[in-house]
Amino acid sequence: MSATNIIIRKRITRLFLVVGTILILLIGRLAWIQFVRGEELREKALANRMDDIPVPATRGTIYDRNGRELVVSISSDSICAFPPVVKSGDAEKTARELARILDLEYDDVYKRITKNTNFEYVQRKVDIEKSKEIRDLNLTGIDIIEESQRSYSKGKFASHILGFVGMDNAGLDGIELKLNKELAGIPGRIITEKDARGREIPQALHEHEEPVPGNNIYLTLDETIQYFAERELDNVMAQYQPKGATVIVMEPRTGAVLAMANRPDYEPAEYGTTPAENRRNMAIQFNYEPGSTFKVIPAASALEEGVVKPESRFYDKGYAVVGDRKIKCWRFPRTHGSQSFEEVVMNSCNPGFVEIGLDLGEERFYQYIRAFGFGRKTGIDLPGEATGILIPEKDIKPINIATISIGQSISVTPIQLITAVSALANDGLLMKPRLVNKITDSSGKVVRTEEPEPVRQVVSKSTARQLAGILEKVVNSGTGRNAYLEGFRVAGKTGTAQKAGPGGYVEGRYVASFAGFAPADDPQVAILVVIDEPQGGIYYGGQIAAPVFKNLAKDILRYLNVTPELSEEEIKNRSDQAEVLVPDVVNMSLEDAQDILREAGLKARIEGEGSWVVEQQPKGGIRFPAGSQVLIYLGDKGGTVPNGQEVTMPDLTGLTMREAGQLLGRLGLQINAVGTGLVSEQKTAPGTKLKSGSTVTVVFTPQVPEPSP
Amino acid sequence: MYPRKKSPDILLFTAIIMLLGLGVIMVYSASQVTAFERLDDTFYYLKKQMVWALLGLTAMVSVMKIDYWRYKKLAVPFLVIAFLLLITVLLPGIGTSVKGAQRWLAVGPMRIQPSEVIKLSLVVFMAYGLSRYRDRLRSFVTGLLPFLLILAVACILILLQPDLGTAVSVAGTVYIMLFAAGARGKHLLYLAFAGIAAVALAIILEPYRMSRFMAFLDPWADPRGTGFHIIQSLYALGSGGLFGLGLGQSHQKFFYLPEQHTDFIFAVLGEELGFFGGSLVILLFLVFIWRGFKIALSTGDPFASLLAVGITSMIALQAIINIGVVTGSLPVTGIPLPFISFGGSSLVFTLTGIGVLLNISRYTSYR
Repeated sequence: MSATNIIIRKRITRLFLVVGTILILLIGRLAWIQFVRGEELREKALANRMDDIPVPATRGTIYDRNGRELVVSISSDSICAFPPVVKSGDAEKTARELARILDLEYDDVYKRITKNTNFEYVQRKVDIEKSKEIRDLNLTGIDIIEESQRSYSKGKFASHILGFVGMDNAGLDGIELKLNKELAGIPGRIITEKDARGREIPQALHEHEEPVPGNNIYLTLDETIQYFAERELDNVMAQYQPKGATVIVMEPRTGAVLAMANRPDYEPAEYGTTPAENRRNMAIQFNYEPGSTFKVIPAASALEEGVVKPESRFYDKGYAVVGDRKIKCWRFPRTHGSQSFEEVVMNSCNPGFVEIGLDLGEERFYQYIRAFGFGRKTGIDLPGEATGILIPEKDIKPINIATISIGQSISVTPIQLITAVSALANDGLLMKPRLVNKITDSSGKVVRTEEPEPVRQVVSKSTARQLAGILEKVVNSGTGRNAYLEGFRVAGKTGTAQKAGPGGYVEGRYVASFAGFAPADDPQVAILVVIDEPQGGIYYGGQIAAPVFKNLAKDILRYLNVTPELSEEEIKNRSDQAEVLVPDVVNMSLEDAQDILREAGLKARIEGEGSWVVEQQPKGGIRFPAGSQVLIYLGDKGGTVPNGQEVTMPDLTGLTMREAGQLLGRLGLQINAVGTGLVSEQKTAPGTKLKSGSTVTVVFTPQVPEPSP
Repeated sequence: MYPRKKSPDILLFTAIIMLLGLGVIMVYSASQVTAFERLDDTFYYLKKQMVWALLGLTAMVSVMKIDYWRYKKLAVPFLVIAFLLLITVLLPGIGTSVKGAQRWLAVGPMRIQPSEVIKLSLVVFMAYGLSRYRDRLRSFVTGLLPFLLILAVACILILLQPDLGTAVSVAGTVYIMLFAAGARGKHLLYLAFAGIAAVALAIILEPYRMSRFMAFLDPWADPRGTGFHIIQSLYALGSGGLFGLGLGQSHQKFFYLPEQHTDFIFAVLGEELGFFGGSLVILLFLVFIWRGFKIALSTGDPFASLLAVGITSMIALQAIINIGVVTGSLPVTGIPLPFISFGGSSLVFTLTGIGVLLNISRYTSYR
């Protein structure tokens, strides 16, 4: 054997060792993959093969306090594609058809349905006709899944409170955002093991998770009261073209927000195209200098601290001097002269309040400001609440105390102010403002009830009552006269604040407001009206905000079935201007009644038969516009109609339950009342003859006035 | 002149038959989904593979009977034919293009890959040339260079198809033969550098190779794109565990794994038969290499020795590259797993090579 052959032999042996080693290494590599990383890779492989189809959960409904639907979810169809399956068919044709039906760009659709994924949405929430057309085409790899879509059928109504959801049904604002977790529910999934082209494989693994529907929310809002607020704001916008306006109606006892409305507003369904400014919830986000409405705070504090008594004397010379600054009264150069504390409040006299604030002193005054909840979020169930601005205690100077006393040098939010005013109405007990009454699951089972939450007793009951009495005088004969509401005792305070701009207060830019509650002796509602930068030269809170308060209070109290009671003074004072006092003509002969009504400047409309008036509507003692009709119901002398006698069914439309009940009672008819609110329907048509003693069914619905244009 | 004929190497034969049997079974299992999907016939690839296997075995047994030294005279003509075929396949309109690579020549109902022909012809030619001129091998210019030039032409022609994997395995085979034939260590070292540089250049110049290479470094950087093949392959192997999911039970073969029954058949095998099946295949290749090199060592004829080394290392290199790719140890390149992967002409030529090897084994003198 030659030397070369020996080399070959040596080298072949080495080669074998090298190649053998490589093969052994490959076995090692295989073991590493299959054992060490096996578990991880197995799981990933499975996840990779699993096709996960989301099954969206139905979003919960938002109701008002009486269970009236405010926002509901309706199911809608979404078009989705399984790209691997699409690609196994005629993807171009599929894309063409989809683009045609859905009115989309062909290229976009094609790109989307052939994407390198297992699942794609083509378009979500499409019209039912379109989805039907697509379903009928039976396109390869295109499927239609049901998704729930938010229906904001009430449009702008309470939009700032309700908020809205985005495309993926996640809340983006308002209650929808704040309580998104409650409303959203838990989406389900259908998981199937699929081949790489999206088809189920033999012996495929399946999992099906049912979605859990979202919870339902019952708000403290009352749909009817909210409508009143929206309507009033529409009027305000039309009359004064302000930059913005807000109304909050609160139940003082519980802190429940019965209505909260803002202008400008927006359509939740079109949130994407509305300016952010319109989506701003002024009621909780507007930091403004409250002006005179804030004076209730130093007034209550000073009374509580014994710094003043209602009869304490003040002298107004038209201005007050603090340090080197002169704070003028709004009446300057005229003066209020000598006045009691009560009169200071009634006149909203600036120098008087400056004196009160300074007497109270920085420390005590701040203590009360904070106790009333200023300078801190109220914690209402809405996103984006503002804090207001307080000058820090360490920087405070007497001039600041003086100006804060008249509602300047301090920024508050409407919700803070109405909460503080509600505390005064609630015998001094500050309640946390609430928007949510209860939360139920989809089957209606109560998950959580939100109880009224007292925060603190800010002032004593007697102080609160005392101040309520003074604020009633503000409305009866002070700056708040335009809020005067016949038959009800109204307490309130006006406010007109000049807005600060760069370099001081700006001429012509004001915030007009009115805060108050009614009835003063047993407050059912507290209302705040804020109008930001009204146009047209009328800007006093007493001029433009107080009437809004009055309209609201009138409708709300009537809606809440609060009985009007005329004070003796009112009965005496009526007569003048357009309104006339309706005389009580019940139990008079038809002739007499007609004469008396004519004398009073009213017309009579006759219902029923007989010669004797058994009931009238409106009742005697109420102020009513001159020239209006008074319904008189005729019967036989002696009042109530005896059983069995033929009577005529009166028209009950628009009456309250009590009114309807009384009227029917007079006619000897039994009422079968359905629902609550005002009469919307009567099962027995007006004019129908029926026997006294029979029962008529009357349907009541909460009053929902048409929103004004 | 030559020793008396013995019976061929039975261990080698057994190992090959076992690999072949395993291959036919795996081709069926791996291909049935695709076969049904594309051709409505789950047995389509099985039937074809069985035909090719029989054809290959016939070729093997026939070649086994041809005395290997006859190839000395045929070495040059074979090479010339192989080169002609390699050029022909590149001509537009003649070569058949599959997935962007022009690798096949249609011959009647069959398709053959000229690169398979060149592999075998080159091995025969190298064995002949190197054994004949091995006294010159110490010199680079007069010894190595002519062989290298022929190799370079072959590689360039293969790269034009383009088929980097085959070019690398051909070059690797020739390199091993040069090494075995006794080329100088220094030369071999330079050649190794030159080869690595050439491969690097081929990768850098071609964007799809570059992205495959990047995917090799980090498959999870683009799991749905360039990393897809490697990841799906690792998923399959990882799902296998010790004994696998059972024959026919692969889930990854449902179009997740690309080339289930060809280049990535080892992944299906690893998923269905587990580490047990995977390592069995590797061990069978180890047995094959052991017997192949043993034959090379046991023949007194340098030509036979180099021929055996060439055939053995050619098949070994392909197996290593294929398993390396499937286990994510090498960048993805399209090399089938000898004996196992579906693939007609490749199987026939491989078995032909085994026939030559078995013939050599009949003239060995085990000591």
